[in-house]
Amino acid sequence: MNPYYEPSIDGPLHDMVVPSDLTAAKEPERVILAEIERCGYAEDTVFAIKLSLEEAMTNAVRHGNRHDSGKRVRVKYAVTPRRVVIMVGDDGPGFRPDDVPDPTLPENLERPNGRGIMLIRAYMTIVGYNERGNEVWMMKENESWKP
Amino acid sequence: MEALNRSGHRPFSLSVERVGDAAVVVLAGDCSMEVSGQIQHNLVNLASQPVRAIVIDMSDLDFIDSVGLGGIVAAHLRGRHHGCTIRFVNPQPAISEILRLTRLNQLFAVHASLEEALGAAAKRS
Repeated sequence: MNPYYEPSIDGPLHDMVVPSDLTAAKEPERVILAEIERCGYAEDTVFAIKLSLEEAMTNAVRHGNRHDSGKRVRVKYAVTPRRVVIMVGDDGPGFRPDDVPDPTLPENLERPNGRGIMLIRAYMTIVGYNERGNEVWMMKENESWKP
Repeated sequence: MEALNRSGHRPFSLSVERVGDAAVVVLAGDCSMEVSGQIQHNLVNLASQPVRAIVIDMSDLDFIDSVGLGGIVAAHLRGRHHGCTIRFVNPQPAISEILRLTRLNQLFAVHASLEEALGAAAKRS
């Protein structure tokens, strides 16, 4: 996977910063999903974005910031009727996404962890990371969009 | 009308009922990141007890994240030492798709009804 992703953003990019806990992390989700629903995205696309955003936020809080409530989670997002671009970043040291074992291999099916990144890749159109590995950028095309 | 949480989704609930020597767990609503850790806590505790099967009814489960799924896998690891199997019942299409993508539908049997799941668990014992 190309670790770098230069997102094509065709709308205003908004910023949010929230405390690093899973309850506070719901607020960006609430705002972004409301905007997506306002733009008329299909129900299955909303589901895909919600799941991917939750996985990214969970990774930021649990693995990136290691539940340190003094740290922050940064979110950038742009929502247009054509596509959604979201960045989730944490204050952690970062990681190498390609080092995460494939959870769908038979030998990994019984591992309790490690499915979040795979789900983001499965549900979003494009996924990439910054060089440090503490920011994930993801984009979802609105497949029902017509110019 | 059922109350919705602040995100406009049905709040998550988890309930357990004993049916013979099996346990039926009903998951419902929005099992999102702030609550999904409850699954591991409850199911691992349940799998530590002498139950023959844990049947998870997903009929009313609208959403589950990877932490919730991981909690089910953790319970599977705990329960298999005493022969406890975990079975799924009637997941909605969106949940079925997550199970297919993660291939957890290869680790856990998926049944169309509670009766079918309990019957399969009884045959196995």
